[in-house]
Amino acid sequence: MTPAISLSSIARAGFSELSSARPKLTAIAVALGSDVQYLLDVFHVAPDPDRALAELERLTESHVPLLEKLIPSRPSSERLVRVLGGSRGLSEFISRHPHALAEFAKDPSLPRSAQDVRDTLCQSVGSSDGFSSVVGDDARDKLRIRYRELLLQITIYDLAAESPLDEIEAVTAALSDIAGAAIEAALSVARTEVLESFSREDIALVDIAVIGMGKCGARELNYLSDVDVIYVAESQDEEALSQEKALLIATRLAQHMSRIIYEVSKEPGLWEVDANLRPEGKDGVLVRSLESHLAYYDRWAKDWEFQALLKARPIAGAVDLGNRYVSGVAPKVWSSASRANFVEQVQRMRQRVTEHIPKEDVDYQIKLGPGGLRDIEFTVQLLQLVHGLVDDSVRQRGTLEALNALASAGYVGRSEAASFAEYYRMLRLLEHRMQLRDLSRTHLMPRDVDGQRVLARATGIFTSDVDAVERWQQIKLGVRQLHERLFYRPLLAAVAKLPEETHQLTSEQAQARLSAIGFRDARGALHHIAALTSGVSRRAAIQRALLPIMLQWLADGADPDHGLLSFRRLSEELGETHWFLRMLRDSAGAAQRLTQVLSGSRYVSDLLERIPEAAAWFDDDEDLKPRPLSVLSSEMVAILARHEGDKAAQSAVRSMRRREILRLAIAGIVGVVTMTEISRGLSDVTTATLEGLLALALRERDEKGAIQANPEFAIIAMGRFGGGELGFGSDADVLFVYRVTTECSGDIAQKRAERIVARIMELAEDQRLPFDIDTDLRPEGKSGAIVRSLESYEAYYARWSLMWEAQALLRAVPAAGSPFLLSDVMALINPIRYPAEISPTDVREIRRIKARVESERLPQGADPLRHVKLGRGSLSDVEWTVQILQLQFAHDHPTLQTTSTRDALTALVAEGLLDAEDASRLDAAWILATRVRSAITVWSNKSTDVLPSDRTQMDGIARLMEYPPGSASAMEEDYLATTRRARQVFERVFYGA
Amino acid sequence: MDKQQDFVLRTIEERGVKFVRLWFTDVVGTLKSVAVAPAEVEGAFAEGVGIDGSAIEGMTRSYEADVLAQPDPSTFQILPWRGEVDPTARMFCDITTPDGEPAIADPRNVLKRTLARAAARGFTFYTHPEIEFYLLKSSDYTDGGPHPIDNAGYFDNVSGGIAQDFRRRSVRMLEDIGISVEFSHHEAGPGQNEIDLRYADALTTADNVMTFRTVIKEVASEQGVYATFMPKPFAQHPGSGMHTHMSLFEGDTNAFYEAGGQYQLSKIGRQFIAGLLHYAPEITAITNQYVNSYKRLWGGDEAPSFVTWGHNNRSALVRVPVYKPNKGQSCRIEYRAIDSAANPYLAYSLLLAAGLKGIEDGLELPDEAEDNVWELTDTERKALGYRALPASLDEAIALMENSELVAETLGEKVFNYVLLNKRREWRAYRAQVTDFELRTNLESL
Repeated sequence: MTPAISLSSIARAGFSELSSARPKLTAIAVALGSDVQYLLDVFHVAPDPDRALAELERLTESHVPLLEKLIPSRPSSERLVRVLGGSRGLSEFISRHPHALAEFAKDPSLPRSAQDVRDTLCQSVGSSDGFSSVVGDDARDKLRIRYRELLLQITIYDLAAESPLDEIEAVTAALSDIAGAAIEAALSVARTEVLESFSREDIALVDIAVIGMGKCGARELNYLSDVDVIYVAESQDEEALSQEKALLIATRLAQHMSRIIYEVSKEPGLWEVDANLRPEGKDGVLVRSLESHLAYYDRWAKDWEFQALLKARPIAGAVDLGNRYVSGVAPKVWSSASRANFVEQVQRMRQRVTEHIPKEDVDYQIKLGPGGLRDIEFTVQLLQLVHGLVDDSVRQRGTLEALNALASAGYVGRSEAASFAEYYRMLRLLEHRMQLRDLSRTHLMPRDVDGQRVLARATGIFTSDVDAVERWQQIKLGVRQLHERLFYRPLLAAVAKLPEETHQLTSEQAQARLSAIGFRDARGALHHIAALTSGVSRRAAIQRALLPIMLQWLADGADPDHGLLSFRRLSEELGETHWFLRMLRDSAGAAQRLTQVLSGSRYVSDLLERIPEAAAWFDDDEDLKPRPLSVLSSEMVAILARHEGDKAAQSAVRSMRRREILRLAIAGIVGVVTMTEISRGLSDVTTATLEGLLALALRERDEKGAIQANPEFAIIAMGRFGGGELGFGSDADVLFVYRVTTECSGDIAQKRAERIVARIMELAEDQRLPFDIDTDLRPEGKSGAIVRSLESYEAYYARWSLMWEAQALLRAVPAAGSPFLLSDVMALINPIRYPAEISPTDVREIRRIKARVESERLPQGADPLRHVKLGRGSLSDVEWTVQILQLQFAHDHPTLQTTSTRDALTALVAEGLLDAEDASRLDAAWILATRVRSAITVWSNKSTDVLPSDRTQMDGIARLMEYPPGSASAMEEDYLATTRRARQVFERVFYGA
Repeated sequence: MDKQQDFVLRTIEERGVKFVRLWFTDVVGTLKSVAVAPAEVEGAFAEGVGIDGSAIEGMTRSYEADVLAQPDPSTFQILPWRGEVDPTARMFCDITTPDGEPAIADPRNVLKRTLARAAARGFTFYTHPEIEFYLLKSSDYTDGGPHPIDNAGYFDNVSGGIAQDFRRRSVRMLEDIGISVEFSHHEAGPGQNEIDLRYADALTTADNVMTFRTVIKEVASEQGVYATFMPKPFAQHPGSGMHTHMSLFEGDTNAFYEAGGQYQLSKIGRQFIAGLLHYAPEITAITNQYVNSYKRLWGGDEAPSFVTWGHNNRSALVRVPVYKPNKGQSCRIEYRAIDSAANPYLAYSLLLAAGLKGIEDGLELPDEAEDNVWELTDTERKALGYRALPASLDEAIALMENSELVAETLGEKVFNYVLLNKRREWRAYRAQVTDFELRTNLESL
């Protein structure tokens, strides 16, 4: 009887289920004739001692003789519990094939060479001259068992390593080699299997090469992942075997091979052989000839396919053919980086870093997501592509090799490269240990403490679960910062002497990087960077820290050059304030939004220069919410009360208008408000401004300084203002109206009303952000009186009322001034705009006017396809269609009595007056044209109604409309197609054609 | 710089090339050419050559930003013209915007885009055109209409005629320039010839058609005669068509072929034909783009006027040729409406797009036409459900205007340029008072 061991000593060994461990340990010790204390000591090295113990107990039940030989040796038994406690998958393998226990008696080593493992695996299926001696399940099982024995050998070596971080490259290379060898052996089985359908001579004449892609190609495979491959094949002798037949045989070989590796059999499959990186992806043929591959890459390949080829390496099959494939595609990889759309490629690569991560996994992903393995690979590949164009030395397959080469050539600092490599190894080590546990393809950090503790123990470098998680968080942060340090910091170092930098890029190299990320004037950009970061001021110091990441964000915008220039101006304006730089430094969200806006909108960046303090809003969504009309109106009242002098009051009103429009523009760009909210907001700002201006006009004093008698006065909103559909840069259509009072009547009232209008126009003037008040919709148009009394309107409409005037009134709503007068005006116009009946002549007249407007109002030389207001299928086509139907039917269908175009469209469908499909085409065109029109203004700070044909401008406009970068053509096509369809509806519904 | 570019630059040096012509095609299918000196070629590869964007819009020029012609080194050829003293070479170009995106209005890009869409489904599109044209004594027609160079008929062997020399010389020249010619024979009309280009992927074929037209015109002028690809130069003789054989390949397998299917046609093949038939009327303004095209289309003589298909039926729009046993790879279908004056890039794009749409929507193939469609009465055709192709350019334009397929395939811009060009042509044509009207009306009215 061995003496009992204490529970606390069991706890020290790392067990968590102490009291059940004690009897088990004792029982095993007895069964194997070993000392229980000795056994317990051995378990200190197990990643999961409880698991290891359970596995050992299971083995002891039936394999005492094998274990008796193993356990007395301390090193052998430690190796055993490391595997039993570190990998459920391999434990199961051992229990299926106990002879594998012999592996633990050997000194840990990696397989000698790639050739060696190839020979071993081929032997396992008795292959000679490329044909195996066994087939079917028998072959599958033999191959897989031999493969797993090799995997076990590698695992034992890896888990026993003194410093596992240093072994990463050797281990991943060995894993890649056994994968290639398994494919080689499976090919020989496949050849024998297809003898059923083809002759031995024919099969022998087929050269098939398996090209490893991705991690296997780069010889940096992990424990369990799909092996990405591409197949290329040809006939060795076209006289004897046609190319066509050779490809057919090769396709069968490839299909068999992947089944031999993975298909269900007694011994479970290894991993999936994934050929989806082949030309045309899943839809493409499985096997192609070399010529067919090269022709595809010449003509059809997408840029990311070239990046994938960066890692291509022949791993099995015909070596010579494989090498010809690789040397055939190699030049294309590097020349692809010289293409003009390289910047877009880079952005695509960046998107891939964070693509498709389920939300709940983000915090546990060690491969994808910010600070993950993919992030490191992205940075390294980007630098390789930028500098590999002219420098062969950085053209390496493996991530660590490439990093090394980049450091040797001086593109990144040695110490940064070293820490990046260190992070990479740590993440790979974590990944390996996680995958080993169940031999599963996982990249998720365990979420429970137990899992984390086991992981920490398995790596041998973390002291506890808490330590592992904390260090991992640091790594993530470190990787993020290193990306900036590796890519962007050297840009600063190229222009400013930074004491801490050990190496310096030349200004040409810095410009190459700036160009690669999208700066058009790289030299100018470098100059701004110098101005922002040079010197010893606090501002320069903070900006040196901020700029690397801000450069990246600016580069994501449509016009990085202008963005950087604007930032420089803003910083000169605000850099000395206590809050500006601190906000940018402490709030990543604010800095990112600021750069997004500066590089995406001249409208906003110009306004920001006027109202720099608005930069503070970037920190808080609340500040970017549109202010409701009631708030704006009370502010207006306060302004008028505060400022006695008209000049001061005018300037306060103007500031308020600029500020609120700026708020809406920023909110629109960063996406915290919808298009409808913006239109509503702009209409509210316009209404509040008119209220203020009207009040100021009414309190104007005469020459003697006396307040004058005013008539009752009101302003009606018309057009898009009336519809609540204003965009940035829209005019405000209005009607002015007055009513005589006892104090002010007759000619004096008319004179006074005219003066009020003139005064409003005067006060509205704003050079920086023009406020155009348009009165052309008044009776008699441009030749009519600018303001009329209510009676005059009444008399006019009773006598003359033309159809176009009734049409214009469809969108009249009260804006500002006397509420009584406003409601009387509305009562007056309702019967006019919603007539009980309109004659066919009137309908024809509206159509004729529209036809004339189309040809006359369009500016000289403007392309009707691109005019967003009057062009083919654009705003006016949609609005006229809606309005002609409103004039005809709104009297009998009160739901049509709305000033909003989109509401009217909905009502027309509901009332059965317009086909739903037609309405949706009109609606789509109206929305798109509205968005384009606003985007043009916001992008360029110029009000124009013509879609530009300059591609940089279109790209900027498209981005504001939430297209991905580089969508100039897509946006243009969408616009032209959408309006073309709307025009078809318009011609049918409006003209009745 | 890649190997093909190296090859081009080396050849220019070795062969002492003095000019390099950069070729591209406008929307109506006219070949345009910009000549550059050898020293400029390297720069042209790197940065392209700036040209005025309106050059590709056909006859209606509107303002368009400048574009770049990017020579495609794989199309480099020394031109074998005898007339040119200095060796001259040519390359086809892709037209791109200054920021490197393909120019939407470049017809070659329209085809590339459509082919890429097919490639995304795993298909490669192969075509093989049979191009007919007339050899005339000269381009002068004032003296009693154009005069053909001979009066021989179908497959007649005219010994020692100019036509024979002409054919020998052009076949030779075409082969020198890297275009394989499959077969050549005398067509039905006097002075009419047909030369078949060998099977190749559609982009190569379209490039070859453009080159072919130039070579033929060049050889003709060398020999003091005139060649025309006008669809119907003689009212009394057959017009010049460009029957095109088509097939889809999936990798190295013919997707139209299925052993044991009717006429060895696969389901994909049948759906492709169904697509062609369904969209034939709306794509006719592209496959038959001139006022004159409709004189051929409705002039009898084997020209297909009705939307039908048949096995070896020469009156059908789509013909499934006789199958050669054990030649699965050669399984193909023939579209017979298209004429020799079509813009091959746009026409092939639309044929492919129509066929693909048939596959995508799983269209059912109607029954085949077994009789000569021309000999049926209108009522019979109606009963059999045979629709007619448009009878005039005007009708064809109207059908195309409402076609989502054409707009989508050509892209909105090319779609518009084509419409503008064609409407203009139709208006100019309508403004004529013709010989016919004078002859039939002047005296009697």
